[in-house]
Amino acid sequence: MADDYEDAKLRGAHAREERARAMVPPGGDASDEYRWHTGTNRATGAPDAVEFIEVHKAFGRNKILRGLNMGIPEGKISMILGPSGTGKSVCIKHMVGLLYPDDGDVLVHGESVPNMQDDQLFAMRKKFGVLFQDGALFGSMNLFDNVCFPLRQHTDKAEEEIQDIVARRLREVGLEGAHDKFPNELSGGMRKRAGFARALVLDPDIVLFDEPDSGLDPVRTALLCELIQEIHEENGGAYVVITHDIMSAKRVAEHISVLWKGRIVESGPAEELFNSDNMFVRQFLSGASRGPLGME
Amino acid sequence: MSWLAVPKEWLATFGEIISFCARVVREVLGLRVLRFFGEALRQAGVLILSSTLVIWGLIFIIGLQVGIEAAYFNRSVGSPAYAGVFAAWADLRELIPYAFGYMMAAKVGTGIVAELGSMRISDEIDALEVMGISSITFLCATRLLAAWLVLPVMYLAGIGAGFFASYLAVVQQIGEVSSGGYFLTFWMFQNPTDLVYSIVKGMTMATAIVLVGCYYGYNAGGGPVGVGTATAKSMVLNVVLVHLIGMLGTQLFWGANPRAPIGG
Repeated sequence: MADDYEDAKLRGAHAREERARAMVPPGGDASDEYRWHTGTNRATGAPDAVEFIEVHKAFGRNKILRGLNMGIPEGKISMILGPSGTGKSVCIKHMVGLLYPDDGDVLVHGESVPNMQDDQLFAMRKKFGVLFQDGALFGSMNLFDNVCFPLRQHTDKAEEEIQDIVARRLREVGLEGAHDKFPNELSGGMRKRAGFARALVLDPDIVLFDEPDSGLDPVRTALLCELIQEIHEENGGAYVVITHDIMSAKRVAEHISVLWKGRIVESGPAEELFNSDNMFVRQFLSGASRGPLGME
Repeated sequence: MSWLAVPKEWLATFGEIISFCARVVREVLGLRVLRFFGEALRQAGVLILSSTLVIWGLIFIIGLQVGIEAAYFNRSVGSPAYAGVFAAWADLRELIPYAFGYMMAAKVGTGIVAELGSMRISDEIDALEVMGISSITFLCATRLLAAWLVLPVMYLAGIGAGFFASYLAVVQQIGEVSSGGYFLTFWMFQNPTDLVYSIVKGMTMATAIVLVGCYYGYNAGGGPVGVGTATAKSMVLNVVLVHLIGMLGTQLFWGANPRAPIGG
């Protein structure tokens, strides 16, 4: 009996996937894997801080970015959303020159990242603050030294001034009592907040967040989102958040780019994307199981 | 797959290692590493505190073994008074460099791979890069500079530990030669040039071990399993290199001329 039930469930799931795959937008071709990619880029009125122009990137035979055209507007909290394995983290690594495109170009404030010499690249990276998935704090340093680190390396500020700045940043992220703790003594959420403080300490123009909500409970995710909003209101700049979490997108996103199969499906102001007619965008932003996106 | 695929892959890896090592050495010799001199001093401190005793300990034990072999071998050929000759050559020229190389590979080399590898998989190296800091200079060149600052002194003191252990075994434990008789032949069969050659041998091993450790750690991937694999690979390569450098050093420094007061 139980086996029959499981078989029926499996057949149902397969049938739903088949129906989803067969969906075609008006005037589209069912054999075109990019039939939902209108590539529509709705105007935000702000210039782009970062631009991807026809970017291709493959790892071996695995093609990750396949002609990506995307803009990250200045002064807004942008979110790059998309299914797992679709190249979101690869995008972040291209922005800071940790990866280079096989073809195409990435511009930061109009300057081509792949064409920069090492010295230019290191100077350009000072414009960025990056919050990695697990904070990427240095295990050999306590929290205070971790957050101090960019200031000590890149500025001539006096130690007292550095201590004031770091204390303020740690207070902002709610870690004022944890200066002496080492990363292995912190919870996942604390490590993320510490990573956030470190990312902000040089007052960067562009802050990148690689899945800030991964591994956090819903309440702490909400608190982290509020923190991102508050600090963005205070400091400005272009913030880029990579996430799968639709609730986070609803809370903080001002601009959304939906990425799938290495290209943008649609991008634009958040409220317009949430009301998009595109079935893939609608499915993804509502977290629905039925639609063009299956388990493949 | 062609039979050439495996040697081609080895050659490619060898090329990568050479290119990586050359870059690290350039960062040190070009003095760019001095930008992170504080980190180099910290690494030197770590090296001193965590590795000195264990390296000296191994050299001391090997020195004891050399002393025992020296005493009994020279007794067997009817010249127990010449145990110092055996000890002088075996300690300074071969076994101290090897013991130093083994422990460097096991303790320092694998430690570097594990530390840098775990930094790589937890995005710490990427974090350094996006802060505008050259991670190769900060992580690898500082470790090489620290090794060059600390290890010659540590090696010299290690030689002292090995010599002392051989003396204990030959003179105090087995006691078939007097202290004066032992030291007469012991010092007669070595001179300061031999000491310099021995240091060159040891430091070449140490440099190779630190660079190989940095390469495998810095380029580790594939999660914790990948770090474990990289550690094992680095140990294998380091042990091979220790023997290769030991053999070539002996050939180069003493192969054509034993540098001993024997015969005409």
